[in-house]
Amino acid sequence: MNQCIDRSAAALLDDDILEWDGILSRISGSKNTLASVLLTGTTDTTGIRALSLTKNYGRRTAVKELSFTAAPGVVTGFLGPNGAGKTTTMRMLLGLTRPSSGTITIGGRPLARLDNPAREVGALLDARATHPQRTAFHHLLAFAQTMGLGRGRVDEVLGLVGLSQVAGRRTGEFSLGMNQRLGIATALLGDPEVLVLDEPLNGLDPEGIRWARTFLRDLAREGRTVLFSSHLMSEMELTADDLVVVGQGRLIAESSLDEFVRANTVQAVTVRAAAPDELARALTRAGTGVSVQPDAALLVTGTDTATVGRIAAAQGIALIELAPVRESLEDVFLRLTDDATEYEGQPA
Amino acid sequence: MNLLRSEWTKLRSVRSTWLAALSAVVAGVALSVLGVSDLLGTSSADLPPRWDPTAESLKGFLFAQLIIGMIGALSVTAEHGTGMIGTSLVFVPSRSRLLAAKAVVVAGLTLLISALTTVLSFTAVQVMLGSSGLPVAGPGDPGVARALAAGTLYLALIGLVGLAVGSLLRSATQSLAVLVGILLLVPALGPGLPGAVGDWFARFWPITAGQAAYAVVPGAGTLAPGPGILILAVAAAGITAASHVAFRLRDI
Repeated sequence: MNQCIDRSAAALLDDDILEWDGILSRISGSKNTLASVLLTGTTDTTGIRALSLTKNYGRRTAVKELSFTAAPGVVTGFLGPNGAGKTTTMRMLLGLTRPSSGTITIGGRPLARLDNPAREVGALLDARATHPQRTAFHHLLAFAQTMGLGRGRVDEVLGLVGLSQVAGRRTGEFSLGMNQRLGIATALLGDPEVLVLDEPLNGLDPEGIRWARTFLRDLAREGRTVLFSSHLMSEMELTADDLVVVGQGRLIAESSLDEFVRANTVQAVTVRAAAPDELARALTRAGTGVSVQPDAALLVTGTDTATVGRIAAAQGIALIELAPVRESLEDVFLRLTDDATEYEGQPA
Repeated sequence: MNLLRSEWTKLRSVRSTWLAALSAVVAGVALSVLGVSDLLGTSSADLPPRWDPTAESLKGFLFAQLIIGMIGALSVTAEHGTGMIGTSLVFVPSRSRLLAAKAVVVAGLTLLISALTTVLSFTAVQVMLGSSGLPVAGPGDPGVARALAAGTLYLALIGLVGLAVGSLLRSATQSLAVLVGILLLVPALGPGLPGAVGDWFARFWPITAGQAAYAVVPGAGTLAPGPGILILAVAAAGITAASHVAFRLRDI
């Protein structure tokens, strides 16, 4: 039954075979994740917890009473349009920007009380934030040394992100994708339980995105808390388990990706039949909403393709076409954040 | 110790640090040599009354100090400019400790550059003066060793001033503008101001006061070496404290 719901939720997504693949593996992946949470005995005091965060810059409010949690063992996507306050929030999570009010706990403790923060929280703030003259190796070495770590750990993380071959090159020669990998390597230096990554998929080529997705999911599967931001729903679809959606600094939604899809996508079916009027009457009797489209197809809401097919069969009506109406997550996201978009293009 | 190691890695792993260090020494020595070249044809009798071969040999400080100040400024503005400061603070949340480690490392490097600039300038100029038959100063002469030490300290303190200015302004170009102002323009123009204000600048402007510390023959109306370097040190400490407060209070 559960699987059935998952499938129908998935069916509402783009029918691209790759996405099907990803979603199904994600569903099975989240079972593993649940198991790992049970095994490690993690409770809700771990992970990231933000409570009523507010940040004002003068009279402008960048973030307003934002509360959410990011749990260990899952990838939490932090989603919102540009200017929604994602970066400000992440900077507050990392102690770089002081909240005007509100509290943050990491692993159940306030941020300021962490003994050795880099060993507990790893961060990717801005992949381009490297000195262009410095080599990838020295960039990592400088940060490793703050924790008393040396070349050994630097070589390890370079290997983890696949940059060993270019360790001696200056980061100014790096593509954005290579810098993203370097940023993720930096975040991993202290082997932290919590990762806060600002737009880690931005600028990656398709191969890089696939790598980063697998990598982030593997990190979560090891029991880590992974919070990553993006302004693109498409980046979330195959990567995140949970979603925190913000717009104009406010929380719009917080749920699992599946629930988000189920709650926010309209369940609808289009159907063409040899005898549309007869079918419309049968469907109305069955309690569904039916409207006739300009092209004589019927738009049926509040049901799924299987039910419509069964009703048609019971009435002996031949169907010409039967399809779910698909609303991509991108559409859902745009609809939800429509009011919350700060900058909008004006028609010329 | 971990932090010092980290900051030293940051400083040594960018080419511009070493280019700046080299230019400070080369330009400092070259300018010192140029500074006395017009005297080489003259005889001892034509020398000005308060002839000080030690101070004369350190004229190149005028430019070397600017580069040394920029080494200090760049060690912090480069992190702000690239945004790397955010990552640094994730690893080292204590801003005081981060700034202190930077200051120690910058001070160490600038002290080395300053010592090289001072000793090489002094030696090159004394050799030139000697070969022209003009009076020279030797390191064993009274007050000379002290003046050379004070000169080295002067330049190293300018490195710290640069670090503080860079930390306050967070921009390399703004830091350069401010350093040109406080190191070159104010000492040149301040004393020209009318009355007591001009006199104050001629004696107490910390840069001018610090420069009095590496004279062997005291100039007219300038401070004695001890108070001179002390005023510069206090000013450097003051601006460092201000940058520390700003660094702690500001969001990154």
